[in-house]
Amino acid sequence: MQGSSEEQPPEPREDATRPNPKLEPTEQDEPEEAARREAPLAADAHSGHDDHGLAHTMPVWMLVGVLGALMGLTILTVSVTSFDLGSEGNLVVAMVIATIKAALVVTFFMHLFWDKKFHLILFLTAVLFVILFLSMSITDRGEYQHNIDLYQSTTSAAAK
Amino acid sequence: MSETTSESAASTAHKGGHGAPAPAHGGHDAHGGHGGHGGPHLAHHFDTYQQQFDAGKLGIWLFLLTEVLFFSGLFCAYTVYRGMHPEVFVYAHYFLNTSMGAINTCVLLISSLTAAWAVRNAQLAQRKLLVLNILITIACACTFMVVKFFEYEHKFHDGLLPGPAFHPTEQVWELESFKHKHPEAAEYAEKLTKAAEAKEHAKGAAAPAAGAAAEPAAIERPTEEQLEPLIKAGVIGPNAEDQTRPSKPRNAHVFFGIYFFMTGLHGIHVLGGIGVFIWLLLRANKGEFGPKYFGPIDYAALYWHLVDLIWIYLFPLLYLIH
Amino acid sequence: MASPSATADVVAPRSSSSDNYLTHDKGVLSWIFTLDHKRIGVMYLCSVLFAFALGGFFALLVRTELLTPGKTIIDHDTYNQMFTLHGAIMVFLVIIPGIPAALGNIIMPLQLGAKDVAFPRMNLASYHLWIVGAVFMLTSLAINAVDTGWTFYTPYSTTTSTAVVPAAFGAFILGFSSIFTGLNFIVTMHKMRPPGMTWFRLPLFCWALYSTALIQVLATPVIGITLLMMIIERTVHIGIFDPTLGGDPVLFQHFFWFYSHPAVYIMIVPAFGVIGEIIPVFSRKRIFGYKFIAISSLAIAFLGFLVWGHHMFVSGQSVLAGTIFSAITFLIAIPTAIKVFNWITTMYKGVIHLDTPMLYALAFLWVFTIGGLTGVFLAVMSVDVHLHDTYFVVAHFHYVMMGGAITAFMGGLHYWWPKFTGKVYDEKFGRFGALLVFIGLNVTFFPQFILGSRGMPRRYYNYLPEFQPLHVLSTLGAYTLGLGFLLTAFYLWKSIKNGKKASANPWGGATLEWQCSSPPPYYNFHKAPVVTAGPYDGYENLMYDEAIQGYVPRKSASST
Repeated sequence: MQGSSEEQPPEPREDATRPNPKLEPTEQDEPEEAARREAPLAADAHSGHDDHGLAHTMPVWMLVGVLGALMGLTILTVSVTSFDLGSEGNLVVAMVIATIKAALVVTFFMHLFWDKKFHLILFLTAVLFVILFLSMSITDRGEYQHNIDLYQSTTSAAAK
Repeated sequence: MSETTSESAASTAHKGGHGAPAPAHGGHDAHGGHGGHGGPHLAHHFDTYQQQFDAGKLGIWLFLLTEVLFFSGLFCAYTVYRGMHPEVFVYAHYFLNTSMGAINTCVLLISSLTAAWAVRNAQLAQRKLLVLNILITIACACTFMVVKFFEYEHKFHDGLLPGPAFHPTEQVWELESFKHKHPEAAEYAEKLTKAAEAKEHAKGAAAPAAGAAAEPAAIERPTEEQLEPLIKAGVIGPNAEDQTRPSKPRNAHVFFGIYFFMTGLHGIHVLGGIGVFIWLLLRANKGEFGPKYFGPIDYAALYWHLVDLIWIYLFPLLYLIH
Repeated sequence: MASPSATADVVAPRSSSSDNYLTHDKGVLSWIFTLDHKRIGVMYLCSVLFAFALGGFFALLVRTELLTPGKTIIDHDTYNQMFTLHGAIMVFLVIIPGIPAALGNIIMPLQLGAKDVAFPRMNLASYHLWIVGAVFMLTSLAINAVDTGWTFYTPYSTTTSTAVVPAAFGAFILGFSSIFTGLNFIVTMHKMRPPGMTWFRLPLFCWALYSTALIQVLATPVIGITLLMMIIERTVHIGIFDPTLGGDPVLFQHFFWFYSHPAVYIMIVPAFGVIGEIIPVFSRKRIFGYKFIAISSLAIAFLGFLVWGHHMFVSGQSVLAGTIFSAITFLIAIPTAIKVFNWITTMYKGVIHLDTPMLYALAFLWVFTIGGLTGVFLAVMSVDVHLHDTYFVVAHFHYVMMGGAITAFMGGLHYWWPKFTGKVYDEKFGRFGALLVFIGLNVTFFPQFILGSRGMPRRYYNYLPEFQPLHVLSTLGAYTLGLGFLLTAFYLWKSIKNGKKASANPWGGATLEWQCSSPPPYYNFHKAPVVTAGPYDGYENLMYDEAIQGYVPRKSASST
């Protein structure tokens, strides 16, 4: 830490109620801190593809390329509906295509590929929790569905 | 003010600067952020622009997590309901306009591109392009809302409202989308309806008919093409509301409840995004963003991409049901 | 090596110590629009304590009514509203924000060595949202207080004529308040640690707040959407939860408890953090098993997401789901027990100072253990079938919430009171208050275990005469508890008016918040402190100075 001018330490009883002087500003601090914080906002000498800035910059060809892929996948997902793959099959295909689109958006548009790994972990954690939530609810509902069906059939039978 | 006095570095100047009631160097600026001691757009409680940017990035990612979990409840309701009552969903999808949904998907994808591009513009301090991209993003978002408005208007007009307000003005087999896909089934349903109506009319008028002998004689045994789409849509069969004639499936209104809720909540988020981008547009126009400070554009774009992501899943789930 | 406090040389400070965060800016507006985390924390503290008094008032109404079977002071519909309000206010307005927003906001950045939280404006927004949420809840009270129970179960909540929508919407807003606090804390702890403050040098209070923040961020949105769905179901009748409209009421319970179970960990994990701060300081001994306690907070946060169905064993949930939830619930006892054992081991061969904070911490150990163990009883499906919706459950959660969270809150309040008020409360009153509270809560809630196991249902207005003696005992305990809190309020208030001035470090803590003055300056630390030791190291380098009634670094020729 900063070596401050050493004075004769006064008695503890005064200082103990005051902030820790080691953490207080000294004369030598100011210019350093000011220099550390100051930074111009004007464009850097390195513009374009640089990692010297605060974060990676997306090249235009990549942005447009991803859009192209997304559009293509959208067309694909709409046209697949004209084929009959069974009600489950269509849903699975639609979800797979949607997930590929989502992955493209998250990786490229949302920059996750160049971002801190922790953000990816956070995102996957959220998805994991959603899956946990959905799967337990569906499993449970599936288990007691027959009770509902039984009740509905008996009441409609009674109604007849 | 404080920087110059401290750089001239007399101990008295430092003391004066520190003890003054006005926010001094390193002091707590209650309206921190713009102008002053740390550098433009560097909040007082951050040490460097990098720290500020990283903190904001982590913050927005955490917020996006909360949005994912927020929508998850609706996706869960959708999944549970569709799993247990697929016929309601098959029935309802004929009423939806796939083209409008697809247009909206494309519009949002384009707006995602321009939002991501805007981040690049901000990083490179390309003010004019930044303003243009934000404008296009807003325009696309507004287009999305306009298309949505027309969709909702159609639904209102056709009586496709949630809950007890659900009174479709047309039967599903009378819809163009149904007739186009399953012409035989549509015809068959018409015939059944007419026969049922005739039977009721006869019941109401003269002597009661001796059994239902009249009905089966009038209509031949249905084929697979005629029957299957109707059973799948819950029009006839065990899930139909009315067992004596083609009708809608039990609890068909639930789909539309889910539909309006999901698309409505999504629409509210789109509106929120439009508001944020308008605010950023004004700031961008003033030239506030550059390589050291482009966080707000980045964070807003991330939010926007999430809105797009949610729609990427909503579109096939609501519009592309087979 | 010694922590920053325990260095030999002391240099004269330059700042004026009469200028602190309380005196720095004047006027009501400087409080309403403050960005200072300490002021926001103080505002939260006042608001939460007010809500606690309100919730407590409703509790006393409920307990008074239960003095006799049949009507005592209110009728049955009003009774339903009273217990609902008591629950909703306590859960949403008091305990969930409680320790994180009130104590955490004031203390966490100081413990970290940071200037403020990462997003001060979001912090202020979080407080304002609390106020808005509280207003909505009170609106429900004013119109026709909600009577569904704090759990808002459908289809009753979607069909009852009481003002459910304002109450549910209030809880919805409060959810956002909670999310903002959690988000802020996570980013603060990731991005604003000073040099030398590694993750494993963080105080355990910070670890607890971090784990809580993770839960807040991940779970709260789900209650948000659930309440929204319930409101829409009630107003538009879309048919998601109401069986007559084709909906599924068990689905509501799944949605509700997916948040509300992690919510109880939001309530208790910060309490664990407070206890983890108090015990080493008042034992003058380093915490035992620091890493285990830190990681166990994360483990509890994670496991807490996997067990929500144990609230639904008799709801119609399938046996398969019930079995899974039951098994995982047993697992949560493990990290929790690790904490309790480590705290007890910390005290072993320590020098115990029985000041008020420590009394609350010791009370916590006893009372929380009872509450936690009875939770394990309830986790056993076959037992829960008999005990669900009885007073046994009521006793269990009051033991952990009142005996756990509130006791720890009281302990933390007393521990940090000199720091953020700059005043010392009367220790004699403090100890007596703690005793009253301890006796009160045991006399109130222990009989309820017996009532429940003998079949007294919860939320019932009428009951069989054979239950009356235990109900009377419970009510007497409730009055004692209320008295204890009133006494506490009295002497704490007195300390503000004419209490002795507090020293910087009255208890001899080694964490960073004891480095700054009491009250702290508005800027916390001008220079980021450089941390070179753990948060519970160096008690031997502090000595008590009678003159200032506080601890100071031990002046030694050679530093240890």
